[in-house]
Amino acid sequence: MSVIRLHNVCVDLPVFELSGRSLKMHLARLGRRGRIGKDNDGVVVVRALDDLTLTLQEGDRVGLIGRNGAGKSTLLRVLAGIYAPTAGQIYSSGRIVPLLDISLGMDELSTGRQNLRLRGLLLGMNDTEIKRKMEEIADFTELGDHLDLPLRTYSSGMRLRLAFAVSTAVDADILLLDEVIGVGDASFMKKAEERMLDLQNRAKIVVLASHSDTVIHQMCNKALWMDRGRIREFGPMDEVATRYAAAQSTG
Amino acid sequence: MFATALRDLRSSLAAWRLWCLLGWLEIRQRYARSTLGPFWLTISMGVIVGSIGVVYGTLFNQNMAVYLPMMGIGLVFWSLLTSIINESCVAYINSAGYIRQTATPKLLFMLQAGWRNFLIFLHNFLIVILLLAVFGSNDWSTVPLFFPGLALFILNALWIGQVAGIISARFRDLPQIISAMLQMAFYVTPILFQPSMLRDHRWIIDYNPFAHLLELVRGPLVGTPPGMLTWAVSIAMAITGWLFALALTERYLKRIPYWV
Repeated sequence: MSVIRLHNVCVDLPVFELSGRSLKMHLARLGRRGRIGKDNDGVVVVRALDDLTLTLQEGDRVGLIGRNGAGKSTLLRVLAGIYAPTAGQIYSSGRIVPLLDISLGMDELSTGRQNLRLRGLLLGMNDTEIKRKMEEIADFTELGDHLDLPLRTYSSGMRLRLAFAVSTAVDADILLLDEVIGVGDASFMKKAEERMLDLQNRAKIVVLASHSDTVIHQMCNKALWMDRGRIREFGPMDEVATRYAAAQSTG
Repeated sequence: MFATALRDLRSSLAAWRLWCLLGWLEIRQRYARSTLGPFWLTISMGVIVGSIGVVYGTLFNQNMAVYLPMMGIGLVFWSLLTSIINESCVAYINSAGYIRQTATPKLLFMLQAGWRNFLIFLHNFLIVILLLAVFGSNDWSTVPLFFPGLALFILNALWIGQVAGIISARFRDLPQIISAMLQMAFYVTPILFQPSMLRDHRWIIDYNPFAHLLELVRGPLVGTPPGMLTWAVSIAMAITGWLFALALTERYLKRIPYWV
């Protein structure tokens, strides 16, 4: 049973100025703390998520919508367990896989196959799982013998194929996506879309942040409208998306 | 007690394949396509040992057969200790990309720094073997003590690294402060000089935890088993140090992604 429950979740992101990063300044400030009212410890705090209460259940395909800076990416990071909420609780069960940056941790000097293993380990697969899926992933990339050459010989399109192929081979109960991943040339694009759909169908819960209406309409059955760190609306995709579009056009 | 920290430590240890691989890749990246690879470090360490040996050995009027292994072995282990600590300082900072994109356990990155420097140490260990082969040891029977000594030595290096790593993620001038302090510690730790040369000032060594740590690994190799005090200090340091590191980890682990 996969589920994510957020209860009054807040996230305060500290923004460090140069002096806030310094131990020396910090110690020097200890002596006069409290005397100068406006002297804080050099750290500005931005409330990125403000009091979110939310339950995601099996079958939910949630599209995150909202302007830039509304807190979509931060919310994905909280759902992924990267940011622990500064206040409130989060409860989740099921294997959560965030695909926020699919090219993360690729090594230039390693061959394509070695990179598949590295990326697989980073995604939380174990060696037997990687071995089992290796051939299928290798086939999908269509890179053939290039897989045994070091990554530094790859074109950017080839790198993306590799990263995409291994990232989408993961078995996730809960899948978190930040924008849809676009890959390569037209013929590959079609294959990639199918694979992406397949990945989403295997997952029990999908959360997808996107600015593209088409994508949200295609892939989601619910929409979560974020506005300045708060939930503006959460409900069936059609209704929320319509009102969001209306709000956008009136500015 | 320390539930979060211990859970993180357990899952970090379980992900040993990942940090072993990442640590190894980093070494390879550093020495990409050079024929000798990390052995360049061994060579440069060998040259340093040789030149310091000749200069200071003569200055201090020492018997080379005793001085050279003492100093050379000391230098190899000192470099293991300082590189683990110095690189642990930036372990979390440099892994910001991973920490902010995936929910991997955090101690993994500290273990990775430790493992990487242990691999480099294994290359440098060639110098130790060479020195022992040429100059011999007073008493080979103490060599087995080297292994528990080394384990204790590394345990201590790791907790210092973990503490430094967490605080450095928040306060970015700490790596510089620590590297300056280690530089200072180098001169008051019996590496270039022998403890006996201090005469009335032996307290410098008795109260220097680094001197005890060094003795723990060097003593068994050169045939002078470490004294009870050295074992006691090192074990006590490892235990209190790890408790402190775990307490700090427990308190601040969740803040790391916000800091890096």
